[in-house]
Amino acid sequence: MKFDTAIIGGGLSGLICGIQLQKKGKKCAIVSTGQSALHFSSGAFDLLSYLPDGSEVENIQEGVKKLIEQNPNHPYAKLGEALPNLINSATQLFEELNISFVHGESNHYKITPLGEIKPTWASLDRLATIQEKQQFPWKKVALFNLDGYLDFYPKFIKQGLKDHQVEVNTFGFSLPELDRLRRNPTELRATNISNVLDKESILNKFIAILKSKISNEEVILLPAFLGLKNDNAFKTIEEQIGKPVKVIPTLPPSIIGIKLQQYLQEEFISLGGVYMLGDNVLEADLENNSVQRIYTYNHGDIPIQAKHFVLATGSYFSQGLIATQKEVIEPVFNLDVTFDSDRTKWYNKDVFETQPYLAFGVKTNKELQGLINNQPLNNLYIVGAVLESFNPIKEGSGGGVSILTALAVADKIAKN
Amino acid sequence: MKKKIDHNISNNNFEQCIKCTICTIYCPVAAVNPNYPGPKQAGPDGERLRLKKSDFYDDALKYCTNCKRCEVSCPSNVKIGDIIQSARIKHSKQKPKLRDILLANTDFVGSMNTVLAPVVNTVLGWDVTKLALDKTLQIDRHRTFPKYSFGTFEQWYKRQAQKQSEYKNQVSYFHGCYVNYNNPQLGKDLVKVFNSVGIGVQLLDKEKCCGVALISNGLINQARKQGNVNIASIRKSVIENKRPVVATSSTCTFTIRDEYPHLLGIDNSDVKEDVELATRYLYRLISQDKIKLNLAEKKIKVAYHIPCHMEKLGWSYYTIELLKLIPNIELIVLDDHCCGIAGTYGFKKENYETSQAIGEDLFKQIEESKVDYVVSDCETCKWQIEMSTTAKCEHPISILAQALR
Amino acid sequence: MKQNNSSHKSNDSYDVIIIGGGVTGAGTARDCARRGFKTLLLERQDIATGATGRNHGLLHSGARYAVNDSESAKECIVENFILRKIASHCVEETDGLFLSLPEDDLAFQKKFIEACQSAGIPAEEIDPKQALLMEPSANPNMIGAVKVPDGAVDPFRLTASNIMDAKENGATVLTYHEVVGLHREKNRIIGVKAYDHINKEEKSYYGSIVINAGGIWGQHISEYADLKIKMFPAKGSLLIFGHRVNNIVLNRCRKPSNADILVPGDTICLIGTTSDRVPYDQIDNMEVTPDEVDLLMREGEKLAPSLAHTRILRAYAGVRPLVASDDDPTGRNVSRGIVLLDHAVRDGLEGFITITGGKLMTYRLMAEWATDLVCKKLNQTKKCDTAEVPLPGSRHSKEELINSIHTGAKTIAQGAIYRHGEMASKIDTTEAVKSSLVCECEGVSVGEVEYAIEELDVNNLVDLRRRTRVGMGTCQGELCACRAAGIMEGKVKNCSTRAKEDLANFLNERWKGVYPTGWGESLRGSEYSAWVYEGVCGLTNKKD
Repeated sequence: MKFDTAIIGGGLSGLICGIQLQKKGKKCAIVSTGQSALHFSSGAFDLLSYLPDGSEVENIQEGVKKLIEQNPNHPYAKLGEALPNLINSATQLFEELNISFVHGESNHYKITPLGEIKPTWASLDRLATIQEKQQFPWKKVALFNLDGYLDFYPKFIKQGLKDHQVEVNTFGFSLPELDRLRRNPTELRATNISNVLDKESILNKFIAILKSKISNEEVILLPAFLGLKNDNAFKTIEEQIGKPVKVIPTLPPSIIGIKLQQYLQEEFISLGGVYMLGDNVLEADLENNSVQRIYTYNHGDIPIQAKHFVLATGSYFSQGLIATQKEVIEPVFNLDVTFDSDRTKWYNKDVFETQPYLAFGVKTNKELQGLINNQPLNNLYIVGAVLESFNPIKEGSGGGVSILTALAVADKIAKN
Repeated sequence: MKKKIDHNISNNNFEQCIKCTICTIYCPVAAVNPNYPGPKQAGPDGERLRLKKSDFYDDALKYCTNCKRCEVSCPSNVKIGDIIQSARIKHSKQKPKLRDILLANTDFVGSMNTVLAPVVNTVLGWDVTKLALDKTLQIDRHRTFPKYSFGTFEQWYKRQAQKQSEYKNQVSYFHGCYVNYNNPQLGKDLVKVFNSVGIGVQLLDKEKCCGVALISNGLINQARKQGNVNIASIRKSVIENKRPVVATSSTCTFTIRDEYPHLLGIDNSDVKEDVELATRYLYRLISQDKIKLNLAEKKIKVAYHIPCHMEKLGWSYYTIELLKLIPNIELIVLDDHCCGIAGTYGFKKENYETSQAIGEDLFKQIEESKVDYVVSDCETCKWQIEMSTTAKCEHPISILAQALR
Repeated sequence: MKQNNSSHKSNDSYDVIIIGGGVTGAGTARDCARRGFKTLLLERQDIATGATGRNHGLLHSGARYAVNDSESAKECIVENFILRKIASHCVEETDGLFLSLPEDDLAFQKKFIEACQSAGIPAEEIDPKQALLMEPSANPNMIGAVKVPDGAVDPFRLTASNIMDAKENGATVLTYHEVVGLHREKNRIIGVKAYDHINKEEKSYYGSIVINAGGIWGQHISEYADLKIKMFPAKGSLLIFGHRVNNIVLNRCRKPSNADILVPGDTICLIGTTSDRVPYDQIDNMEVTPDEVDLLMREGEKLAPSLAHTRILRAYAGVRPLVASDDDPTGRNVSRGIVLLDHAVRDGLEGFITITGGKLMTYRLMAEWATDLVCKKLNQTKKCDTAEVPLPGSRHSKEELINSIHTGAKTIAQGAIYRHGEMASKIDTTEAVKSSLVCECEGVSVGEVEYAIEELDVNNLVDLRRRTRVGMGTCQGELCACRAAGIMEGKVKNCSTRAKEDLANFLNERWKGVYPTGWGESLRGSEYSAWVYEGVCGLTNKKD
């Protein structure tokens, strides 16, 4: 199996890289061990929300400048002068893909399932977001939840919005078709609820309930439990009720995240890419500081050959990094990894403080090439969460690193 | 130096689950049947409870179709489907009903029915027969039975055996029950395709049904017996006669390679890599420029449906690439959906509704696609698609055979 | 039962005030209440948060002490059989094996069996092949095995049941009430001063006898009366594994040493323990060190080799309350037995007694001794019946209950019956909404959580965990903590800010036990948790 580029890892960074390369006429294959971390994403991408000292970032590029001064090994530092262009490429790509994102030069704010208000860079326009914390766009909202749905918290959201002078009327509801789902003690999840609510006849019943409960609220807030099968579900509600509908994420599984993954995957395939799900890369043949071919579990003795390789395998969750009792390793190529050899230094005793282990990752040179014993591999590029020297949770930089490094590497490969 | 990821089910594979819930999203059964606890609960969660006390086993695990889509989507390499099936084998106290025994014993039923195929096929086609089977055996009356062939594939092959030996290169063909009792034409197509590139086809010394239906219906001892016979024959072919084994059924292939060691405890490690789908076997040789298929133009529009076991094997790429070799073929790949039949599962009255609900989106997409054929490597997918849509479903090897000059 | 929100600054007087809600305090409250005393129990945090909640969960046969301390061994075996009877829903009758490995001296086994038998502990020599059939996970290289009547006990359930019985007999139990001083009139203790952490106010309670059942904190409490009880905290660390590797308790047949007991318990098993003296001022700072983790893993693998490939869920440590048997300040002579101190006799201070030392196993006997002393002092002659009467939850056998209680789906009902015995019938799952699972790993339903909140003195998520096992499974709170927090918000906290603080505390409490073994799947799970709670939900530890 011969390709221009083989991408290991089919999550956000792998797919963005693959899509961009396919658009530039390169034939790509993506190999993915299972589905990706996008499945619990909130639907908002963070580029830089906080500096290392915890202060909130408003203007993003200024924030990045300060960040790079404080952390010259940060993946953004390796993007160098190209960073502003990459941000433009990203927003352009969203447009080309017909994904409506709200984004700007400064962070805006998303509302979380616990009613917190968090800075973010680019959010799907269906999400309930606000431009400025001091000025919420609504004074009165209607918030609905399915009775007994445990992964969404109207009380917390109500309090969170109340703290910003927004009046929230909360409503519970139920439908006999949804009651059928309750027979199963474990599967009342957003995805199964959506399977039911997305059906036209049941959606209409839901809309009737919404109509019957709301009065003069300006906007309807719903948990993200609609729209998995029916892309027009929200539009339909808006049209029939005449009020905007905004969505707040739920605990996993996240329908927003799933749709994003599915959408990017379909785009990649429709552009001619080959997506191989449920496979593990076991071995790689290296020659002259280059990767020649890789072998996977499913394909056995039939290797995947490519001129370029991209490692987009993610962090510990996705098994891009594996932590043993003594070390952190990158399991596909055994690349150089930055980690502390004293395990007690991996953790902070307060789980909410900065956790050092989250910043461990694969070392690269400025070109984002992987290293073995400090020697770069000429045709192996590293993108996304597997990279070293950044803490996506504390900084709010996960989406940004994944997308921008993926685009940067796609550029590099296309030029080659 | 590379890190090996252990793919066997160790006793602790379920411990690799970190409760991310991704498997529950992709389980086709959980999406339509609220009586099924879902793969996370039935698999790794349930396993911990069952280890505490075996009476924590939930009979509702019988609703699992063993499609392995949970495993394909799991980011933690947990063999969820295997855990559930192993639990059923170990803990289920349900005795197989007569219906299950009949549905699962394809060799027996097949041999009987091929002798009187014309009569059997007519009778099985009658509504009154289906109604009677529904009432007495709980085989759902909506189900269409596959037609039986008047004479088995093995009987036909006997007449070719001599000629086949004359080829320089040889493979053994695990034909499976479907080819043998229902559709020998597919077997003939395989022989034609392989012969066209100079490869002769042999049968195994002794071939029994791969046992996939026996496993899912709880007839484990019989499955193991038959499995051991098959592996012995495969060993003779691969090791003694240096002949690799190819198959046309994705389910048979998957069962022999993976379910034998994981669920039946049959060690096949010395021969596993030499048992594969015919499409993969051909792909390898073509990509190494060792053979070339001489294909004429075939201006047809086909939709490829990836069977669940194919998705698990990860081999749909080979079938698709082979089909793309046919000049001017228009090929679309259908969205990745289980068709719902899950072998004998969909024949059972208590599962029929679930089966059809699972396949609903697939059927809709097929009807809207207006293709000449649906193409799929799995025979039960074929039955399901042909029963539930207006499309005809062919095996990729048959399409290739028809396109040969 | 919600906390008593009364604003009385002083209260009715009691016959007995017990300080400490561990199993000793709870057992004493039960005994005192059953014998007709008006009883008050005050616990500074939640029940079973001291050594009671941080031990092996081993229902000792006493065999471990047979060779060196036959007194303790005899006490243990008697209590062992009593607990099986009265606390059947807290106890798993697993049996135990004492394994001799090639490096152990087989001659010790002979001495061991004799010592057991003379202490009244049934001990049977088993052929190693037979032992392996009984317990397949045991080390196949063993050269000898002895079967004894060990078992497993859930200390949270045990304590909660004692508390329940105490309340049923009229006792008042106040958790989150920390004793901060004793009221003294001349040479008599007449009551206590306590700080109510929930309502944030100080209160006083008066009683004829005050019992110090504060475990290792007993030394601190005695100082309120200017008394000196010298305690030597001995830290023990343990590891919890992700699933139940063994079904029979496995011990090493040798002189008691570190990490030589592997105990199965509900869905998990645990290996312990170590023993290190720690300074008294560190007793609230228990952290498991990497060396301890290594030791526990090493020794554990000798008992059951498959532990080497078993996921470790968390590590925890507890402090044993060892009391000096004399006034020697070096503590060389530490009493391993029960210590009952009548301060009237010892120190000339009336109305104050201390019951401490001992072990989880002998709590009932300790409670009996303490209550007998109270009876003597208050001229009561009612006899102790705690050895005969089953605790709430143990009044019916599991088999009877499984057939009669149908709270929700079968496996979930069974889990509830395991945890609560016949009290599971109080769990309301008539509506389908109530049978939805909050904790999927351990199978805890909404109905069970609500029952615990309503009836079992649950004030926060950590309390809830102790009563129902929410968050004790493989996910360590990943999914269930948030769900439980949502329910708590409505029923207990009544305030989103406090509910979120509680959630943050719960996650930190879980993290404390996870990071000492923070590699492999545990680290993956922690990262996932961090993404869900911080990334998606925006939860922080910042207090507004």
